[in-house]
Amino acid sequence: MTIMSRRSVVSASLGLAAGAVLARPYIANAQAKTAVCWLNQGFIPQEDEGMRQVAEDYMKASGNKLDYSIMPFMAMNQKTISALTSGDVPDLVFMDAPSSILPQNAWDDKLVDVSDVVAPYESQLSESAKLCSTFYNKATKKRSYYLCPIKQGATPFHVWGDLVEKAGMKISEVPAKWDGIWNFFKQTQAPLRAKGMRKVYALGLQITTVGPNDGNNLFAHFLIANGGEGIVTSDGKLHTDDPAVREAAIKSVEFMTNLYKEGVVPPEALSWNDADDNNGYHEKLFVMDFDGTLSTELAMIKDKQAFYHDMVTMAPVQKNDGTPMKTQVGTGGGYIPKGAKNIEVAKDFMKYFMQPKVMNANLKAGLGRWVPAIPQIVKDDPFWLQSDMPCLKPYVTEAVLNPTLPVYEGFTPAWGQANAEQLWGQCHADVVKNGMKPADAVDKAFKRCNEIFAKVVM
Amino acid sequence: MSVTQQALAVGRALDPTRSARQRWFGGVHGADYVWAAAFALPYVAVFFAFVLYPIAYGLWLGSDPELYAQLFADPRYFTAVINTVIYVGVGVNLKMALAFLLSGFFMRKRWWIKALLVIFILPWATPALPAYMSIHWFMNGQWGMLNNVLWMLFGIDGPVYLNSHWSGLAANIGAYIWKNLPFWTIILLAGRMAVPQELYEAADVDGATGLRRFAHVTFPLMANLYFVCILLDTVFALGDFNATFFVSGGGPAMSTEVLATLGIRYAYTVALPRLGVAEVMTALPVLIPLVYILMRKLRMSEAQL
Repeated sequence: MTIMSRRSVVSASLGLAAGAVLARPYIANAQAKTAVCWLNQGFIPQEDEGMRQVAEDYMKASGNKLDYSIMPFMAMNQKTISALTSGDVPDLVFMDAPSSILPQNAWDDKLVDVSDVVAPYESQLSESAKLCSTFYNKATKKRSYYLCPIKQGATPFHVWGDLVEKAGMKISEVPAKWDGIWNFFKQTQAPLRAKGMRKVYALGLQITTVGPNDGNNLFAHFLIANGGEGIVTSDGKLHTDDPAVREAAIKSVEFMTNLYKEGVVPPEALSWNDADDNNGYHEKLFVMDFDGTLSTELAMIKDKQAFYHDMVTMAPVQKNDGTPMKTQVGTGGGYIPKGAKNIEVAKDFMKYFMQPKVMNANLKAGLGRWVPAIPQIVKDDPFWLQSDMPCLKPYVTEAVLNPTLPVYEGFTPAWGQANAEQLWGQCHADVVKNGMKPADAVDKAFKRCNEIFAKVVM
Repeated sequence: MSVTQQALAVGRALDPTRSARQRWFGGVHGADYVWAAAFALPYVAVFFAFVLYPIAYGLWLGSDPELYAQLFADPRYFTAVINTVIYVGVGVNLKMALAFLLSGFFMRKRWWIKALLVIFILPWATPALPAYMSIHWFMNGQWGMLNNVLWMLFGIDGPVYLNSHWSGLAANIGAYIWKNLPFWTIILLAGRMAVPQELYEAADVDGATGLRRFAHVTFPLMANLYFVCILLDTVFALGDFNATFFVSGGGPAMSTEVLATLGIRYAYTVALPRLGVAEVMTALPVLIPLVYILMRKLRMSEAQL
């Protein structure tokens, strides 16, 4: 047995330390073709499998290595913001809903311009996907692509068709106009309660003051339906001084708060978080919900009766003036933080991912919860419009074929801040709890919104 | 003298006549000093990496005075400060008072009280997130268990608890107390068990029972431990994020936000991490004196309970 002396321990330790220091550059070189990727965990396991598949296929095809980790959205959101703040960043971040991170960081010149990756596919992308992927950079003083768009998602109505029938009404009689849809489903509550469903409500209207997203999304759609879609324009300007926008906001707040006061919305909706309406809907505690993507339906895919027969997915059809409703879509995809060590591999992976065939395979693997950023894909592949999943066709029609608008966050970081402050939820609370008139509540919210936008000058 | 007291006494018994250099090197020299330094080095490195560096980095992140101007212009910040004062003030003091009373109850030697203690500890042993999320759903006005029980037993519809500022804040404080009460009860129970039995026997002989025994024996001996617990828990409560975030979510209308949750909202929802850090930094003028008093208290009270 070797007896270790004090001298031998010290010299061996120093030798190891020196060796590690000298060997480091070679280790780094060996990883030159490896990109560290953070990938967003999906809502259903199939989405994660789809992401793993695309990463593995890329590695086989390119010979490059992706050191990828799949993590839950909230955790990844926090990790990414921390990374962008500290500068210790991965090579690629792939997110389903990056609209709260990208505008501010593109503005602060913390992201790599990916126009060269997007260019070959630009003509095929939907207009909304393009607008959701370009952001203003205050250093270069221009908008450019900072997101490689892969997927987009919209907000459909989720309806318990069996409850509508139980209430003695027919889905085929749902009106086309926006307010008409809400008023139609409102009528289901009284007959259902008369049949013993004591605590059932008609509408899962998320006029929440808690957030983070559902209440803002709901308000934006009401605003569009009432003709106020120009509240923020693609140049990042706020138009709260436009009488049409103000009028639309007042109508929206008045309509929603009236529904709440009439008692057809669960009182708790004022304090819902983003999961509460999903949970309530799944428990059949209200008849209809208006919530983003198909996660509501896909969460119940194992319940064949519910998924294939009882649940009905509907796209908004018309605004209140009878013109086609434009649904807002958000876009997901990959972006590269500045300071990434292997930008080349990260870009190469996104070039691979943006190929329509690869994009399609990935999104189909996720059962269509997200639809392709390239609209032609859904026309070419029968999966999207002839699926046996009843929820898919109306959703794809809404998110891809019908007219859409990008989420306003893409236009300016200021809108994200206004949303984060829950200005619109507060507006509703001012009316239903504090007795304020809708016009006064809107003016108060607009005043704060103006202050936020004043700090972001493009 | 207890073992702890003896150990502490050794530390104080250092020869005051030794030179400053001797005291600094702790009596070791030459090769022993190199070995001591080599063994201490990893701990020093860990201390720098995981204590000093994050604090310095946080201070640097929040060093821009403009951040504070932005913060003080936001009315929600002041709401969060007031909520934090209420949350910490009520949450800590009410919990400690309850813990103190319960520790007396759990001193009793009956078997069923011991069994009850095991059940009582469960909230503390439960992971915080599912526990707080359960409370959030438990209090849901429409489908929560609380209102369903009220309906089944009395035929009444309970209120929508999380729609009001005061009941939302009360729910957060209640959840925080419920979650941490067992821990502090056990700490105070341990303190009570360390009170020498002879003192109670002497008090009995002198005719002191009940309230007088509490006032003249238990309370004086436990006061120091109680105060240290209050200080420690104040530090914990100031940084508590989970109860508010998962029970009321800061709602309604962000009216129950506390400093810890508002900081996270700035950092990760608004994606302005520097503002989030600056917001948390504003608690330092309270936090640092608290920690200082705590440290002094621990040093001064080494021979007390």
